[in-house]
Amino acid sequence: MLELLGISVLALAALSAVFLVALVLKRSRLAREEQRRETLEERVRPFALALVDGEAVELPELSTEERAMLAEAIGRLSRNLTGDARGRIGRYFAGTSAYAAEIAALRGRRVWRRATAAYRLGDMACPEAVPELLRALEDRDADVRAAAARSLGRLGRPEAAEPLVRVLVDGTVPRALAFRAVLDLGPAALRALRGLARADDPDERAEAAELLGWLGDAADDALLIEAVGDPSAEVRAKAAGALGRLASADGAEALTEALGDRIYFVRLQAARALGQVGERAAVPRLLRQAREDRFEAARAAAQAVARVDPAALLDAAAEPDAGPHLHEAADLLRV
Amino acid sequence: MTVLYDLAVVIAALSLAYFAALNLVYLVFTAIAWRSLARHLRARGHAADDEVFASPVTPPVSVLVPAYDEEPTIVQSVHSLLALRYPEHEVIVVNDGSRDGTLERLQDAFDLVPVRKALRVVIPTAAIRGVYVSRRNRRLWVVDKVNGGKADALNAGVNASRYPYILAIDADAILEEDSLLRVVRPIVASPDLVVATGGIVRIANGCRIDHGRVVDVRLPTSRLAILQVLEYFRAFLIGRVGWSHMNALLIVSGAFGLFRRSLVEAVGGYSSETVGEDIELVVRLHRHLRERDEAYRIEFVPDPVCWTEAPESMGQLSRQRRRWHRGLGETLWRHRRVAGNGRYGVLGLAAVPYFLIFEFFGPIFEVLGIPVVLGWWLLGDLSGVYLAGFLVIALLVGVVLSLAALTLEEHSFRRHRDGRDIARLVRFSVLENLGYRQLLSFWRFLAFYDLLRGRRAWGEMSRKGFRTVPEAPLPPA
Repeated sequence: MLELLGISVLALAALSAVFLVALVLKRSRLAREEQRRETLEERVRPFALALVDGEAVELPELSTEERAMLAEAIGRLSRNLTGDARGRIGRYFAGTSAYAAEIAALRGRRVWRRATAAYRLGDMACPEAVPELLRALEDRDADVRAAAARSLGRLGRPEAAEPLVRVLVDGTVPRALAFRAVLDLGPAALRALRGLARADDPDERAEAAELLGWLGDAADDALLIEAVGDPSAEVRAKAAGALGRLASADGAEALTEALGDRIYFVRLQAARALGQVGERAAVPRLLRQAREDRFEAARAAAQAVARVDPAALLDAAAEPDAGPHLHEAADLLRV
Repeated sequence: MTVLYDLAVVIAALSLAYFAALNLVYLVFTAIAWRSLARHLRARGHAADDEVFASPVTPPVSVLVPAYDEEPTIVQSVHSLLALRYPEHEVIVVNDGSRDGTLERLQDAFDLVPVRKALRVVIPTAAIRGVYVSRRNRRLWVVDKVNGGKADALNAGVNASRYPYILAIDADAILEEDSLLRVVRPIVASPDLVVATGGIVRIANGCRIDHGRVVDVRLPTSRLAILQVLEYFRAFLIGRVGWSHMNALLIVSGAFGLFRRSLVEAVGGYSSETVGEDIELVVRLHRHLRERDEAYRIEFVPDPVCWTEAPESMGQLSRQRRRWHRGLGETLWRHRRVAGNGRYGVLGLAAVPYFLIFEFFGPIFEVLGIPVVLGWWLLGDLSGVYLAGFLVIALLVGVVLSLAALTLEEHSFRRHRDGRDIARLVRFSVLENLGYRQLLSFWRFLAFYDLLRGRRAWGEMSRKGFRTVPEAPLPPA
């Protein structure tokens, strides 16, 4: 027993010493590393900026470490850039060992390395990486899929639109990321979205309708007006929201009709959209909805009236049966 | 006499068994935490926070701030909350019948005007006296109500909130700019699965604060607060990471917790029947979801930071710990059916029994164990060598666990940049085992008396306010 006590004391003392040494070593190593990175970054930063700005620059002989830091610095700059500057970044990276290393890592065994590679390929802006990233969209790990979706959005190639909407629909990539990635594609995604708006799967139709509200134009009005009559409530709501976002005057009639939808969140989206469209003819129905509908739909209706016809709102709020939503909207109008 | 002697031997044996088991659990959790945090750190290389921030479908959040006599810190806190980097959020301060100038300070700083706000009365609360919106920032709402306690104030906030997720935060807390974006990450990744998340709470005493932001992380000058810094490292970086890994997190800190609003409403909101409304809500959510066989996760996220003011006097710390322990006891009693019940999976078979035996009854073993073992030694039945051996082991285990947490912090987040701060923390890793831990156990032991007396009060917690950069004026909200 005494021996056991002695061994325990020694073991714990040794463990304490290990942690203490680890703490000291870690701290000094990290401090050194931080300083070295700062120095390296300072050295390569002018080259990174010159490359991004399209200045003719002759790179000096760089060490492996410096090349890696240059790649990292350019990658970081790339996150805030679009257009020509990104094109220059893509041309710089194409064929470099840094690009080849990330492509190889994307096929590697370690999950975190695959995910990091997928992420960095988006910053490298090489369109050649698209096929590999599309493959990574089907990776067994969620982090890798998410990073690939993000990078495909950054690369802005139209062939990524349909796969991105599909991962958005089947939920294999977080919705916020997949949605953002499709938006990042911009008009390049429109053709695919217009096709998907007529897909058999109601979830695909719903996502396509919502995205058209962000990326589409007046040419999409007819498609979206038709979608407001879709059998799926999700599609009807998303289409109503999209018409509002596009401020489609042509959609006002369909939206007013949607105020009578049996599903409350369709009514909610229709009311909100009518506020964005500015449809004065819908004000009496919006006022009724603000008095009688479920909480969120009523609030949306009251706020829509505040946008479309402030005077009508103030009059209605003064009536005895106005209800809390008209009171709130009227008070906010006065703030 | 024999009976008493036998009882003492039993208590001593139980105390030793408790001590061995508890530390074994801690060591296992330390190993789990190292692994989890290493994975978390690697994931930072591909975290798409900018994309989540820029996504129009990132879920909007209502930030709820229950405030009772928070005059010294409330304006700074609200500034920091309004400045959070997040695509869409509102801040709802619930003034819970404060007796000081909390409401007036808010009115002056944010130009509040009364609004007849439509409130969903999903959860009953004490009477609402008025609702205000800020003319300077329309995302700030203030609900003024009759005092009903923290849980009641949070419920009023839930009723007033517009968005599908609520973030409950203490009025004396300061969130870092990206904290909300980070704490919402698991929900963005799995919105159908993750129902609640919590971030890390760190101690702001000693730090320099500028316009609601921590700009310089320093250790407090108060020794009592430094001891709490270490304690928080252990609790969050080891305890919560471990339980979260097992999906059996019982505590999402009331100072910084994000919840799916519809679920909070479904279970009836925060309970005013306990002073541990945060732990009670989380246990109730676990029960609600497990009884319905629903897949879910409640997660701890280690990098979003909430800075808070720690008590610096013995009296305040004692009251805080007695209150926390009372809250734990009330929660465990209310959900006693869960303990050891296989129907609740790891919650019933591991988490609740652990909290019952080690956290709730722990102080009994710790407080009674020491005199009994000493008595045993005085009677000559325990050799001095064994006694010394056990005491040294107890000290070393405590030191190992604190150093492990400190190393973990240094390996991962490195908030304390000044090497002298780390050296002080190492010194306190030893010192805390020579009195502080025993004192905490004693205070928690006293909570049994409070429980038996049926004490319900929260106790006073006076605020010093944060150490701020004085010269510059506040920016427009």
